[in-house]
Amino acid sequence: MLIDEVTSSGAMPALEMMVRFAGSRQRVLAHNIANIDTPNFRPMDVSPGGFQAALAEAVERRRAATGGESGQLEWKETSEVRAGADGFLELTPKTASGNILFHDRNNRDLERTMQDLVENVTVFRAAIDLMRGRTELLRQAISERS
Amino acid sequence: MTDPLGIINRIGNGAGGFGRAAGVETAPTQGPSFKDVLIKNIDQVNKLQQEATVATEDLMTGKRMDLEGVILATHKADTAFRMLLSVRNKVQSALEEVKQMRV
Amino acid sequence: MYGALDISTSGMTAQRTRIEAIAQNIANKDAILDSNGELSPYRERIVHFAPGDPSAKTADGREMGVHVSMIEINQAPFNWRYDPESAFAAKSGPHTGYVPEPMVNPVVQQMNAMEAARAYEMNVVAAEATKAMTAQALRLLA
Repeated sequence: MLIDEVTSSGAMPALEMMVRFAGSRQRVLAHNIANIDTPNFRPMDVSPGGFQAALAEAVERRRAATGGESGQLEWKETSEVRAGADGFLELTPKTASGNILFHDRNNRDLERTMQDLVENVTVFRAAIDLMRGRTELLRQAISERS
Repeated sequence: MTDPLGIINRIGNGAGGFGRAAGVETAPTQGPSFKDVLIKNIDQVNKLQQEATVATEDLMTGKRMDLEGVILATHKADTAFRMLLSVRNKVQSALEEVKQMRV
Repeated sequence: MYGALDISTSGMTAQRTRIEAIAQNIANKDAILDSNGELSPYRERIVHFAPGDPSAKTADGREMGVHVSMIEINQAPFNWRYDPESAFAAKSGPHTGYVPEPMVNPVVQQMNAMEAARAYEMNVVAAEATKAMTAQALRLLA
């Protein structure tokens, strides 16, 4: 169908998945930061490496199936990320391990958390900007103005 | 007179040898015809778009880490596409003009 | 919509409560009378956090964020100061001649205040980051 092809052309599906993932991960990171002083709290996170590996797999499948320029991404469910047909993304964050345990039994890592936050925002912005460039081009082509 | 799209050539030949018999010939085209150039450029734009798609997806999946490379590839593809779009619009308006010419 | 912004706000609110308790502790570190004029030395207030936010409307929201689970009144024994002339000195028992004073260490309170201020600032940074992301996403439509 023509409209499906236009909305899922090129790199759009991969960009969409990344945008949704970064948006969901922002909540998990905000939760960790809000609980930085809570005793007995263990920070949770979803691993971006795992997500990227699953995304790479889905992209490869799409390339093999349709040549890489059209078609939706089929998402295989991982232990941390689940994507539904209507576009929702569900994360199951896992507790990190290996940080120092402070005296209040909270194993926070201040610098790592801040870095994760900055990286998340940067990735979100990059994906959104790439999407915007693509959308504008499509709009121009559709409106037949040069 | 040059005849890029081959329209006038065809009409002349279809009229049954009149053009040939009178010895009127179109000037030999120098270099590739406009049609060939157009098709080649469409292929080029398509290739650039595909490269940009692959670059973007590789950035998202972590296979490459350079944002600037992806931005450059996307920019090239965008510029090429815009150029093609511009050419298409010009050809379209030229065709409209020709249609409205009183013969 | 319960999102990252609400979670950061809950963190800010919790840290502010903690700083208020610390400010009260510091202000009352020498108070040995209560509001009726009776001898009742001030006891330190300790704020306890727990993850989650019970006042949220969705089940999802109740799990994320942080809230003040209780404000404990420290039952540690008082600081006894020897002053037999004072009207409030104990008349009998093991602390005869000693005046009870609040067991509040201002240095510890100040360290706690610094830590709470730092945690508050981190929550502000997280909220700003979420705001920037949302603004960026909205520009996609414009």
